[in-house]
Amino acid sequence: MNNKNSNGLKGLGPLGWLLQVITGVFLIFFLGIHLYLANIDFGHPIRFFTAVLENLHNGYWLAFYIVFTYIVLYHGLNGVRGILYDRFDSQKSRALIKYSLSVLYVVTAIYGTLLALAVSRIAIP
Amino acid sequence: MNKTGIAGWFNIKDKGTGYFAFAFQRFSGLVIVIYLYMHLIFLSSLLDGRTTYNSLVQNITYGPFDIFIVMDMLLALVIFYHGANGIRLALNEFGIGLKHHKLFFYAYESISMVLLVLFLYYAYLFLGGH
Repeated sequence: MNNKNSNGLKGLGPLGWLLQVITGVFLIFFLGIHLYLANIDFGHPIRFFTAVLENLHNGYWLAFYIVFTYIVLYHGLNGVRGILYDRFDSQKSRALIKYSLSVLYVVTAIYGTLLALAVSRIAIP
Repeated sequence: MNKTGIAGWFNIKDKGTGYFAFAFQRFSGLVIVIYLYMHLIFLSSLLDGRTTYNSLVQNITYGPFDIFIVMDMLLALVIFYHGANGIRLALNEFGIGLKHHKLFFYAYESISMVLLVLFLYYAYLFLGGH
């Protein structure tokens, strides 16, 4: 097996790659809990409206999901950056990619935060 | 440098396990990012109230659009694959498993597929839970 092929995203540079690895490790934890809560939770999955609201009315879970959003967004968009860097190697292209994805990250993170806060303020029926 | 673009990832003829791991890691990553944005859009319907949100969940879980369950299963497959291969790559950074890439790849993916089957089994079991 050729390890050069199996390792990707090295174009991100040492810091970008390190953050990709660290956020990936955190995601195992965050995504594991999310998948369990939303799909299993031994008979009481958080799927329908009231269950979602009850979950987000808890400050700890609200913080959990906001942090989860920031981490999964970073990991995902940083990964996209690495893929695009492999395809476009000029300084100008890479600067444009980095700027565009940074803006997308900030906009999505703000939207995700506002959405979570708005939902947490809806009265439970 | 990969100048062939996304289409080039699927050209796995005469290429080894390493290339498959590389290509599918990227493909699965892109699928998950696209899903992430779809998920955010879907969750935005919480703001439309209980009737709208529950109706959407009902439609994609119990019909008439329960084909989404199959898509959810495929999504779970790419997530479990991506996670297992990602752990292998992270451990490689610490020098773990570098000498036996192939073995580690198959070992992690086998474990992740067992976990996937368990996850799908329990998710199916509790599909009726509200």
